Amino acid sequence: MTTLRGLASLFLLLATVIALASCASTPPCGSTQSKNLDSAVDDVKRTLSSGCEAHFDSYYDDLLRVAEGDPKPENKRIFSDFLMWSSDEGLLSQRQAKDYYNRYFNVKFMSLQGDYNNCSHTCPRRERVMLEMERELGDKERGLLKVSLDNEGYYRADELYQEVELVLEATCTACAAGR
Amino acid sequence: MNVINGHKGTLPAQFSTTGPAASLAWIIGIVAFACIAMANSAIANTSAPTIRLFPTTVVEDLRQTSSVAKEMETGLQEVIGRLDQQQELYEQSKCEGAENDPGCQRLSRQLGATYLEMLGIMEERLPDMEHTVNNTRLSLEKRLRSELGNKMTSWTLQETLLGGNPQPSAAATAPSMRGKSGMRLSERFRQYYQLVASSSSQSDQSLAVLASDIYLDMEETSTLIARTREEIARATLIEQLNQSFGTITPEMMEVVGGVKSILFGDEASRVQIAGPPPGNIEQAYRSPLEN
Repeated sequence: MTTLRGLASLFLLLATVIALASCASTPPCGSTQSKNLDSAVDDVKRTLSSGCEAHFDSYYDDLLRVAEGDPKPENKRIFSDFLMWSSDEGLLSQRQAKDYYNRYFNVKFMSLQGDYNNCSHTCPRRERVMLEMERELGDKERGLLKVSLDNEGYYRADELYQEVELVLEATCTACAAGR
Repeated sequence: MNVINGHKGTLPAQFSTTGPAASLAWIIGIVAFACIAMANSAIANTSAPTIRLFPTTVVEDLRQTSSVAKEMETGLQEVIGRLDQQQELYEQSKCEGAENDPGCQRLSRQLGATYLEMLGIMEERLPDMEHTVNNTRLSLEKRLRSELGNKMTSWTLQETLLGGNPQPSAAATAPSMRGKSGMRLSERFRQYYQLVASSSSQSDQSLAVLASDIYLDMEETSTLIARTREEIARATLIEQLNQSFGTITPEMMEVVGGVKSILFGDEASRVQIAGPPPGNIEQAYRSPLEN
């Protein structure tokens, strides 16, 4: 009986040691607490460099949230620098860095990328394309309007969305009539 | 069979907002929109167009549509003027509520006869209108399919719409879309025509939106004209029966008023939409990551 109790205690001790060891090897991937964008970027860079790159999306969202608290046109440059650093560090490919930047800070819609003609490729999935554009417009509202105070840029993106909707409706109707 | 009904908002079926006159109002409204927008887009981009959305055939079809619209407008203007006078006389004679009075019944019949005349003009002019609208629609359909559908990807289409200038200032010259301008139908078409006739000075950006807008207009108009032509026969029959039984209502003037406001302009129908808030005036930052 005593032997059994001893074995159980030993097992418990071993489990605790293993758990503590694993905690020590996992980096603390918490979100940044800073309210200043520059400091927040430094925090995030440090955390990403210490093995938390799998949480990149969440950190990018944290940075946007911090920037929304202090919106200004220079924020675009800070995000661009951060994404180029991420690309240089190998956390993101060049293409991913571009996508992250343009989705939030450029008038153009990344969801309109495609290599085939509109009749054969875009029209059959027009509703999905418009839905993706609508989501992207939401991100542009955040990046252009709420983070960078680029009102004109955002309204141009909104107008572009409406123009694409109109032109695709007409073009796809014309494509369908020609079949 | 309809009976005399002097209460506002209770239109007999033949004069209701779903009748042929109302349909005509819809048609006219739809074929004509966006001209103020086009006037804005006349502030041309200097870059040479690389897409051909408005070749001579399309321009000629638009000119023809403008001409037919003018004829229809002229024909209706006279009869609508007469309806106005008869309506005035009906009101001055205090016929509302006194529909059984023989004098008022005579006036009602005259109103009905003029209304029948209006239906007749519509019946006579609509086939021409239908023909020219369809020609324009088919020409544009072919160009849109070829130039925007088969020769472009979604990305190049986006770049065309941005006019090679993704900077926000492009918004100032972009045409806005759809809406009554409150001007004469023929004047709207004349502007359509003038705009596309000088399309060499227009940016591809404006032209793609303009062509799409006109095409979708024509598509909807074709359907409405066909439906209206079907409806006219029914409405004419009902009005002929009403003439026999002496039942007419002045509420039809409301419908005629709707046609007038679209044909000849209506200041009150202009809708003002607030512009965007002013953007910051600082030099825009351009990232090396931008496409």
